[in-house]
Amino acid sequence: MIEIQGLTKEYAGKRVVDDLSFTVRPGVVTGFLGPNGAGKSTTMRLVLGLERPTAGRALIGGDAPAGGRPYAELTQPLRQVGALLDAHALHGGRTARGHLRWLAASNGLPERRADEVLAQAGLADAATRRIRGFSLGMRQRLGVAAALLGDPPVLILDEPVNGLDPEGIRWIRTLLRELAAEGRAVLVSSHLMSEMALTADHLVVIGRGRLLADAPATGFIERHGRPRVRVRAVDATKLGALFGGDAVHRLAADGVSVSQVDGEAWEVSGTEPERIAALAAEHGVVLYEIAVQQDSLEEAFMRMTADSVEYRAGSAATA
Amino acid sequence: MNPTTDAGSVFRHALRAERIKFTTLPSLWIPPLLALLLTPGITTAVGAALGGTEPHLTDDPGAGVYYGLNFGQLPMVCFGILLIGLEFNTRMIGTSLSAVPSRGHLYGAKLTLAAAAALVVGAVGTAGAFAGYAATVPGEWAGPALVRSAAAGVLYPALLTVFCLGVTTLLGNLTAAMGLLTPTVFLLSPLLGGIPGAGRVVQFLPDRAGQYALHYADDPQIAYGHWTGLLITAAWTTAAACGGLRAMRRYEAAGH
Repeated sequence: MIEIQGLTKEYAGKRVVDDLSFTVRPGVVTGFLGPNGAGKSTTMRLVLGLERPTAGRALIGGDAPAGGRPYAELTQPLRQVGALLDAHALHGGRTARGHLRWLAASNGLPERRADEVLAQAGLADAATRRIRGFSLGMRQRLGVAAALLGDPPVLILDEPVNGLDPEGIRWIRTLLRELAAEGRAVLVSSHLMSEMALTADHLVVIGRGRLLADAPATGFIERHGRPRVRVRAVDATKLGALFGGDAVHRLAADGVSVSQVDGEAWEVSGTEPERIAALAAEHGVVLYEIAVQQDSLEEAFMRMTADSVEYRAGSAATA
Repeated sequence: MNPTTDAGSVFRHALRAERIKFTTLPSLWIPPLLALLLTPGITTAVGAALGGTEPHLTDDPGAGVYYGLNFGQLPMVCFGILLIGLEFNTRMIGTSLSAVPSRGHLYGAKLTLAAAAALVVGAVGTAGAFAGYAATVPGEWAGPALVRSAAAGVLYPALLTVFCLGVTTLLGNLTAAMGLLTPTVFLLSPLLGGIPGAGRVVQFLPDRAGQYALHYADDPQIAYGHWTGLLITAAWTTAAACGGLRAMRRYEAAGH
């Protein structure tokens, strides 16, 4: 498991990771979510000791009393943590097998592991090909193979589905679920909630380097989503008079917000369908649709991170 | 799983990994191979072409034997730079550091590999150069300075290679290291060496000083002895290696 305690990283006074604390537990897939630029990759590099934290720490194997240690102190780290941070961080002139052979040797692992993980990643046929000819999807598979080399109890993967075709995406999903089912702690980052909805058991959401949510995936919508009631009336003009114009302010005072979603439908949140029906009846509006709608996971995530999106369309997008 | 995890085995594994990195990437093993061929090859070719006629080739056998090393040292400089420079430029250094988080062990393993490969190139190249020279140039090639000159021929490429590795680590960038080291060793130092005023300073550059140890004859222009020349190069190499270690310990593999 990974224990992250008050992890903070500043670059020239700017906080990229801000007092982040959470635990990545064994046996589950922990989805690490946030918009681009939220600090996910920096957090992962801090966990691997590739950068030094300004404050706080990340321990591998549990908290300090349980014998957890910072990654930089591990003597054979590939046996404890498998990581895929950057599928391009290798030399294209080597063959896939060559790349995995030096990695295996660096941690005293037998060289046959190279061929075993290549087979596991579906790259057995490409073992002797130079990496520079690999597609992004093949590089991701090679990165996963490298992460599995030491059969580690902890896996850290940064946006592993990037560049994968649908078959590759399904392969990653199944693999992550299997690895967690074997009792490993799996931390996988993504900027897409829809992807995590299908993979993760537990969600850690960050925005601007700060923790926004740390909760099981099931029930996430109930806690962070907002139920809405979709309403349509036989006479759209009457419904418009009921919800539109000055009525908006009156309703807002009661904590009810309304918005027109398309030509004649309205979405009402902050109140129950019974009260809406009563209100409509009171004003002689005949409704033919009252539907309670739940946010999708994606919408809950968007709302949660709306204030913390680093790069928006129109501003410099460098992620 | 019962791994032996003492510091010695960490270094041994790191060195083995560096050896595999070296043998699995042509851009790493081609330069020393080239040096191995050029050093005796050019000496022999020039000896065969001019040995009988050009008198100054034979004036100082040290200069004649190591004529090929003037060219052979170029790939060795590149080798020292590429060994770590390629990792900086491909960001592979991040992968290397996650496999061997102990910066000192990773750097020490690279340094050891560089020195070992360059010593082999130095020993075999020097032996080949002496053999080629003896076979093609008439006259005495042995002399009282033979042992010192041969020892310098073995050590100089290793010192130069490790120097370049250290400077590249210090700079943390392949392109910057190429830009600084190659023109210095191949243009600045030989060209400025000929200018009387500049020569007094340039003779203390690592390549000039080390090459003086190769020669048999004394040069009145040089302010130090032959062995001292090799020591000057060794001092440069030690400084670069230590600077590199410091930079490596502080290095942060920032993202893209």
